[in-house]
Amino acid sequence: MRLQVGGRWAVLAALFISVAYAQAPPPSPQAPSPARLKSCAACHGEDGNSAIASTPSIAGQPRIFLENYLVLTREGLRGSDAMQALLKGIPDREIVALARHYSGLKAVPVPGAVDRVLFERGRAIAARTRCGSCHLPDYSGREQMPRLAGQREEFLLEVMLQYRQNRRRGGDTMMSAALHGIPESEFAALAHFFSRLQ
Amino acid sequence: MKIKACALSSAALLAFTVQCAFSQDKPKPPPAWHQGKPAAMAESKLAPVPGKMTETPASEIPLDKLKLPKGFKVEVWASGLVGGRAMTMNEEQTRMWVGTRAMGRIYEVTIEGGKTSHKVLVDKLLQPTAVFANGALYVFAIDKVLRYDNAANGAAGQPVDMTAVFRLPPEQHHNWKYVRLGPDKKLYVPFGAPCNICEVSKEYAQIRRYNLDGSGMEVIATGVRNTVGFDFHPKTGELWFTDHGRDWMGDEGPEDELNRLSKPGQNFGFPYCHAKGVVDPDVAKGKKDACKGVTLPVTTMGPHAAVMGLQFYTGTMFPKEYQGLAFVARKGSWNRTNKFGYDVVTVKASPDGKGAKVTPFATGFMDPKDNSFWGRPAYLAQLKDGSLLVSDEQLGAIYRISYSAPAPAKKN
Repeated sequence: MRLQVGGRWAVLAALFISVAYAQAPPPSPQAPSPARLKSCAACHGEDGNSAIASTPSIAGQPRIFLENYLVLTREGLRGSDAMQALLKGIPDREIVALARHYSGLKAVPVPGAVDRVLFERGRAIAARTRCGSCHLPDYSGREQMPRLAGQREEFLLEVMLQYRQNRRRGGDTMMSAALHGIPESEFAALAHFFSRLQ
Repeated sequence: MKIKACALSSAALLAFTVQCAFSQDKPKPPPAWHQGKPAAMAESKLAPVPGKMTETPASEIPLDKLKLPKGFKVEVWASGLVGGRAMTMNEEQTRMWVGTRAMGRIYEVTIEGGKTSHKVLVDKLLQPTAVFANGALYVFAIDKVLRYDNAANGAAGQPVDMTAVFRLPPEQHHNWKYVRLGPDKKLYVPFGAPCNICEVSKEYAQIRRYNLDGSGMEVIATGVRNTVGFDFHPKTGELWFTDHGRDWMGDEGPEDELNRLSKPGQNFGFPYCHAKGVVDPDVAKGKKDACKGVTLPVTTMGPHAAVMGLQFYTGTMFPKEYQGLAFVARKGSWNRTNKFGYDVVTVKASPDGKGAKVTPFATGFMDPKDNSFWGRPAYLAQLKDGSLLVSDEQLGAIYRISYSAPAPAKKN
């Protein structure tokens, strides 16, 4: 698959650069710099799948979603202060490379027990509230709309609460509106359902 | 932008969840863009088209795909203005300012000998636009108005905060603003309906005008769903404006509109009466005479076309048949199975709005064969030499369209 090749190529490029160059070459538009990838990996995992409960996985996210998120966070219009500090001054071409890299990696949900009752309840709520009309029926996301399938459960829950409580910086107004009318008590089931999907 | 104190959501969570929220006084509105979605379309996956938020170098813009009538040519005039939309210039046309939506920036473009360079004048604003008026640059964000005085040779220094006098209502949906200086030296400012289809409160679905100091506010047009482009007729001085039709009523309509305000106070129909008399199936139920007293459009502009910038052509570079026509940019549809618009058209009509005819002018931003697109023409401006500028919000570029008469064939 093309996506896997891209990932492997990036790793090879990283090795090549670190071995062969004494001085840093200009970053290629296709591959992010090894230093940048290392910085991302510290929280989001080497392969873009986060091992930290409240930190999102970024592997397999739509490329446009990642690009938009990174640009707007750099601009101070979205995301957290911590992410903004990491992205300070990063040029567009590196953002394009990072988005391409992580969108090409495979999302691997963290193994965890499935609570069948909660899972099925979440599935029914998601169907009723039509989350799939934007995030697609398999919740893999598309374009500017993020992947939900396999995302960290705690993260999903927190994001929904942020939207509901109007404390998400740069939150998408359409998403706030989409959550309108879904009781907060249903968020946990939704988060559990999405996080356990492949 | 008002930012509340940052709040730690839970001590157990990492820094990622430290959030600062925008303060908002009202509870969230119901789902704005899903309103009016009928059961029959419940499974539809149509969704707004994402913008591009990274720079596109001029060399990557496929301008060769654009098609224009014979004798016209197009070139990249400026690029790297990520998310750039509406354009405003000083009288001498040595400076231009370009606003954005999500990017939160106003760009300042310096024009010298036909070449352009640019910088970010101000950023981190909520969907800002700019208008040059009376030597000053006004920046209108959804929640803020700033005025840079003595800006003709570049805006500098601290702007005057005019927010309090303009009293902008808080809703964001459909409330990015196109602002224009009228022949009466007043600022014309639209306030869109904060929904797809709904009954609106008295602050929305209208066009207002203000004195330059923000005083003397008048609502001059009501029933206007979402106008994001207008111009004043070169002969009559009347306001002509584009308006977006509602969504989720199917692929064929109701069509967007081109309207003419012949006297202040006219009602253009929203939310009960759309296009040339389409009665709304959701909010006008059981309402008699939904279109009574409504000023109908000069012409409809196509289903879901997203009609944006409007420019009456007053130059002489283009051939006679183009002089006096309205040029209209159609940014292109999302709520339609097959894409529509993604072009610039001309509208020929008499000054009283009769006999309107819409003709494609610049096409090729979209490919109907695979329903793909590369650019989204948004706004128009006319240079002193009579050439026409078109901003492409998708690629953050401005194109210049010029004309030269084909050389007569030489005879030997």
